Amino acid sequence: MTVSTGTEARGVGAPDGIGVPVEQTLVGLGRSLRLALLHGREEASRRAAGQLALASGAEVVARIRATDPRSFVEAAQALRDARPDVVVIQGGPKDQDALAEVLEALRLGCGAQQPLPRIFGLVDTGVAHALRLHADPFEFERFAAASELIEAIRAVRRAGTEETELRDTVIEDGARALATTNGTTALAVDVTERSTSLVLARADGRVEAAHFVPLGLGMGADHVVVRASLDNVRRWLPWPIDAPALLERVFNRPRRPGDVATTEAAVLLEMALAREAIAHALRDAADAGLDVAAMRSSPAILITGRVASLPKAGQSLLVLVDGLEPSAVSTVFREPDEGRAERIGMVVPVTPRKSAKIKIVRASGRSVARVDPGTFGLVSIGDDVDVAVNGAGIRGHGRSGELGVLIDARGRPLWLPERDGERIPTVARWHAALQAIADDGSPT
Amino acid sequence: MTWRREQWSADHSLPIGVTKRAAVGELVRAGDIIAAGATLAAALRVPGARRLGLSPSDFDRELRVRVGSDVVTGTVLARVGRRFARSVTAPIDGRLLHVTVDGDLYIAPIVDRWTVRATLDGVVSRSDDAIVEIEGEAWCFQGAAAYGPDAIGELTLGVDGPNADLAPTRIDVRLSGRIIVGGARVSAEAITRAHACGIAGLVAGGVPPAGLRVVYGDAVTASGSPSRDDRPTVLCLMGFGSVSLPAAVYQPFAALAGARAAIHTGSARLFVFSTADIGRIETPSPDVAAKGEGPAAYAPVDRADADADEGEADREEPVQSDEELSPSSNDPSPAER
Repeated sequence: MTVSTGTEARGVGAPDGIGVPVEQTLVGLGRSLRLALLHGREEASRRAAGQLALASGAEVVARIRATDPRSFVEAAQALRDARPDVVVIQGGPKDQDALAEVLEALRLGCGAQQPLPRIFGLVDTGVAHALRLHADPFEFERFAAASELIEAIRAVRRAGTEETELRDTVIEDGARALATTNGTTALAVDVTERSTSLVLARADGRVEAAHFVPLGLGMGADHVVVRASLDNVRRWLPWPIDAPALLERVFNRPRRPGDVATTEAAVLLEMALAREAIAHALRDAADAGLDVAAMRSSPAILITGRVASLPKAGQSLLVLVDGLEPSAVSTVFREPDEGRAERIGMVVPVTPRKSAKIKIVRASGRSVARVDPGTFGLVSIGDDVDVAVNGAGIRGHGRSGELGVLIDARGRPLWLPERDGERIPTVARWHAALQAIADDGSPT
Repeated sequence: MTWRREQWSADHSLPIGVTKRAAVGELVRAGDIIAAGATLAAALRVPGARRLGLSPSDFDRELRVRVGSDVVTGTVLARVGRRFARSVTAPIDGRLLHVTVDGDLYIAPIVDRWTVRATLDGVVSRSDDAIVEIEGEAWCFQGAAAYGPDAIGELTLGVDGPNADLAPTRIDVRLSGRIIVGGARVSAEAITRAHACGIAGLVAGGVPPAGLRVVYGDAVTASGSPSRDDRPTVLCLMGFGSVSLPAAVYQPFAALAGARAAIHTGSARLFVFSTADIGRIETPSPDVAAKGEGPAAYAPVDRADADADEGEADREEPVQSDEELSPSSNDPSPAER
């Protein structure tokens, strides 16, 4: 199976496989689309607006609730400082008056902005009619469905260059293709220089997508630290490093866009950042009401972007299991930007309270693996064979890839010791289990 | 990353509450006040058109006070009728800030005043309530990131060489109002001391991000954080940490020392206003020399190319010109509206 998520979209107007360039996360303007969210007082409205923002692949620069405690002047100043390209409004009839007042703040704050922001509303016809009056001089467009609004935002990102393929749509197509091929739910996890995406595709073609910008390994690395905290990034490194030195490495990453990590230290730092980017993306996706449980229990998972381009397949797999914390048997694929998709392994997460046994059944026979709490390691099972597992509260089947079957009995949520003396050996052992680190565990 | 002398533009974002601003076509010098206004507290919404029994579209004609004007309690804001007159008056002292589509008025009390100063010698090319943009010619170095408010002052070397760190002990109040070139690195201690001593801004090859977090908070990122509040101004020229300045970058600083300069934090640029000929300056692109996980490092170019002719330097004294402001053209009079 091949799902194109690379820098060249295969088959798009190019039968020989070299297609049009895939835009990363930039819009035709040459930068991220800046999005301001105005939503109603209800929790459902906040979540709906959050889902729109995540699906659109835009950078959220301001968020104002109908019952925002900020004063009129403060709201107007916040919107002026945010300089949004698009303002998305979501709310019900009860929020009409409050949203009208926020629109007045928008008129005061952004009335002189050039070009003026466009307003996209996901509201009832009646609410749209009332709000449109308050939107002058901004262009106000109402959409009946979230999918239409998201498509309109993507059209703005393309800025009239329709032949440009947005990376997020390519990732979504990839997840959809995997779900259709397997006939199950599929998850695509994409981490690039400045974006992190989680796309859950169901067998019937429905998609739940969350694209986070800026949050990545290069241009977005500093944002990972700001959002997830430096200590949360540092805890994944299998060697001691003081906070200022780590912060310096992270802050200098955006200065060298496109650099490929060549040293083991750089690779391990990328892995640490990627884990936190994925974990943070999951938290935000859960906050927006996306089905994170379904993401974690997806039977097929596709890794793309920089994480898929890590030198060893074990490194990609380790980032995935640490960041995503899968809760069901999953077959994991990875597709580097410049390569083909490959099956790299099968993850079997178990949470035994005491020693347990797992039956592993394949065409050539069956075996039993003994699992203790905290066990983390690969079971060699042969390249790319059908495997069924049963026992210790887990049951499922999949295909082993080049790495085999990964038994993960570390428990959920994943917990790391706080003291360096305990944490570093633990993390180093996990790295070693997937051949993701040199034998001596030291950075090179 | 190159020293270049050419035509540049610098935009200056304005806070809400602008009172006066420079007009398009006006000549300004770096440091001149190009806009002034009021800092406003929570606004009060006053019924307007409904109170006068007018439609919102007719209400504008009856306004007696221009939007953006200061008012005192009891000021008649709008009025209709003669014998049985109805009027809307200001309930508080403050600024008539905004008229809604419904014909209501927002009045906000004034709690402070603000000014925005030019960071470029040149001509105002755009002026509205959101931005004043200036176009002009200057020597410019595009930095990596900038933090804090814009700064204007005399460029002063604070180190003896391009590899030296700026020692906090070299900063004192005698350097107040100047932009100090800090060599390879400025520490958080140097930044806070410089701010306390009234230094306008600091320029250095690199700044430790941990120090930036101490000064600007944990939310600071590598893309900079321009602001308007009273904070130190820092311009990172090459990256983060300690980054020695290549000769092609450092020697022009020596040649331009004493000239007026400005840090435009929005674009992370250092403008220097001098007619000095510092030669044809070229530095390698970042991908040539920046390798590994450390801060970007740049190989020095041919010294002859970078040598500046200090003797011909035409140094200008920092001068603050008189304020010359015009009313905001986005605040039309009631008749115009």
